[in-house]
Amino acid sequence: MSQIISKPAIRRLVERWLRQGKRVIAPVQVRPNLVSYQPVRSPDQVLLEGFVRPLNSIKQVVFPRHEQLFQYRVRGKQIDLLPAPLPDVERIVLAARPCDAAALPILDHVFNWEFRDATYNRRRELTTVVTLACTEYDAHCFCTSVGSQPNDTRGSDALLLDLGDQTLEVRCVTDKGQSLFAGQTEASTRTAPTGPGPERRADLRRVGQQLEQAFERSEWAAWTNRCLGCGACAYGCPACHCFDMVDEGGPTCGARVRNWDACQFGQFTLHASGHNPRNAQSQRQRQRIYHKFHVYPNKFGELLCTGCGNCTRNCPVSLGVLPVLEAIQAEGAK
Amino acid sequence: MRPMTNIYQPDLMEVLDVQQQTTDVKSVRVRFRDDARGDDFLFRVGQFGMFSLFGYGESTFNICSSSNWKDFVEFCFRRTGRVTEALWSLEKNDTIGFRGPYGNSYPMDKWIGKNLIFIGGGIAMPPLRCAIWYALENREQFGDITIVYGARRVQDLVFRQELDRWAEYDRVRVVPCVDPGGETPNWTGEVGFVPAVTERAQIPAGNAVALVIGPPVMIKFTLPVLAKMGLADRDIYTSLENRMKCGVGKCGRCNCGPVYVCKEGPVFTLEQLKSLPNEY
Ligand code: SF4
Ligand code: SF4
Repeated sequence: MSQIISKPAIRRLVERWLRQGKRVIAPVQVRPNLVSYQPVRSPDQVLLEGFVRPLNSIKQVVFPRHEQLFQYRVRGKQIDLLPAPLPDVERIVLAARPCDAAALPILDHVFNWEFRDATYNRRRELTTVVTLACTEYDAHCFCTSVGSQPNDTRGSDALLLDLGDQTLEVRCVTDKGQSLFAGQTEASTRTAPTGPGPERRADLRRVGQQLEQAFERSEWAAWTNRCLGCGACAYGCPACHCFDMVDEGGPTCGARVRNWDACQFGQFTLHASGHNPRNAQSQRQRQRIYHKFHVYPNKFGELLCTGCGNCTRNCPVSLGVLPVLEAIQAEGAK
Repeated sequence: MRPMTNIYQPDLMEVLDVQQQTTDVKSVRVRFRDDARGDDFLFRVGQFGMFSLFGYGESTFNICSSSNWKDFVEFCFRRTGRVTEALWSLEKNDTIGFRGPYGNSYPMDKWIGKNLIFIGGGIAMPPLRCAIWYALENREQFGDITIVYGARRVQDLVFRQELDRWAEYDRVRVVPCVDPGGETPNWTGEVGFVPAVTERAQIPAGNAVALVIGPPVMIKFTLPVLAKMGLADRDIYTSLENRMKCGVGKCGRCNCGPVYVCKEGPVFTLEQLKSLPNEY
């Protein structure tokens, strides 16, 4: 037995969630050829078919691009720190791609590793993630090369699968997912078949072993030569989490904030002395590859990449991780 | 569930004293504004903190006071950027932010019974100083102590007054040095670069560990000297200074290959460093 729901019924649910004051974030056709995760104002904005994946990711729902960490007020010698208000609006991410949701457990490790990040965890508690299994792929998708698939449920509270004729199968994964769809679905005998997903190009779970030997290779410059250092790969990535912390405001009042940052910028690791351990763009590309496929996996047992392909899709010169990994693997095969 | 604390929100600290060490280096003594926090505060020498001035931002500095000193901590900085430029005008009674202590520490317990060699250059004195004072305050636990400290010129030596006080302790030898041309007429220390001075100093190296901190070029040329003296890579320690923002393993910039300097460092043996990519 399976559970199903019609697409019009889903849109009625969105209407209700919005009325209840919840924030609904879903893929929206911003303009022709541009689909982006956005907070929606009306149910008909939600895309439930006809797109590969948004060019941004859902990480901003739990890890905003810009956020206040606390505020400060200075009056003479008196300084007061005011905690930034904890988020309290419930969020429902609807029709997220599984390669977005799968990045959430990855981020969970980072934001809870020994020191626990309060606002991240608060947003995570407030967020319910409903994914929509993929039926369309483009040349940049490679989830099947990182051990994932188009109906992967990692990080999802519920997974929707298209059955055709305006009907979706609903697979609840967590209690949050259960309670979101309680009483909203019908029992059915129909289940969605598991599609093959994008063509599997390599077993990138094992590329770490190759990287073990590849750090000092002189080919890094050639492999990453066309990189412009713009950081677009990191900003569009569901799993990249680097940030900067700065003070905004004046000496009498303001806030310490955190902003997304990217390892592709020269300033990122620049020491006060002027020395920079990653001075060349190829060293910074190497860092991004190593962090995702070697450093993080060694610490947390999974890749820091879900195979979404956004790094290549967003890259002005179509680089991103897959072309580099393919180059490394091709060298290895020689 | 107990609410999580905000790991990015610092404690407030009151400035007790500021000492100008050189033309561009100052040391600052601070105390927690919250007495209870001060009473609870513990750290180990070699750890660092994030020190901040509101409206200007945070910077990472080693805690350069000894962990035996209660009621205050000290840090030291060189005027080089936006935050340190602002810190330069700190005065007594001002308030700064502090997060920490973070990172690993010098394995002082492991060094018990050993001869200690401290080698530093320029602004690298503060991260040595905390360990030097700690060792002197537990003098009976350690063997001979040798301190080689060099700067470009006499006036560039940080904590210069303390060098003489250290030399008064039993079985402590202080070898200050300045680069050729950096000496003053009444300079009684050595003239030469740290690696050469270390080599000339005839430091007994049996049963010794060395803590070497300074500019990369100083470290590079000092390591072969120590090797020649017979020190093994696992007995040579340093402290890395990779840029950090969060200090708690999240912001993603301080890693050196597989290790996060903020968590698994900043203190490493040369043996460990040799197994890491050169990203420091
Ligand atoms: S590295 Fe690229 S493919 Fe992997 S999760 Fe990030 S954007 Fe997607
Ligand atoms: S790989 Fe592409 S997106 Fe990433 S920094 Fe380089 S040019 Fe920009």
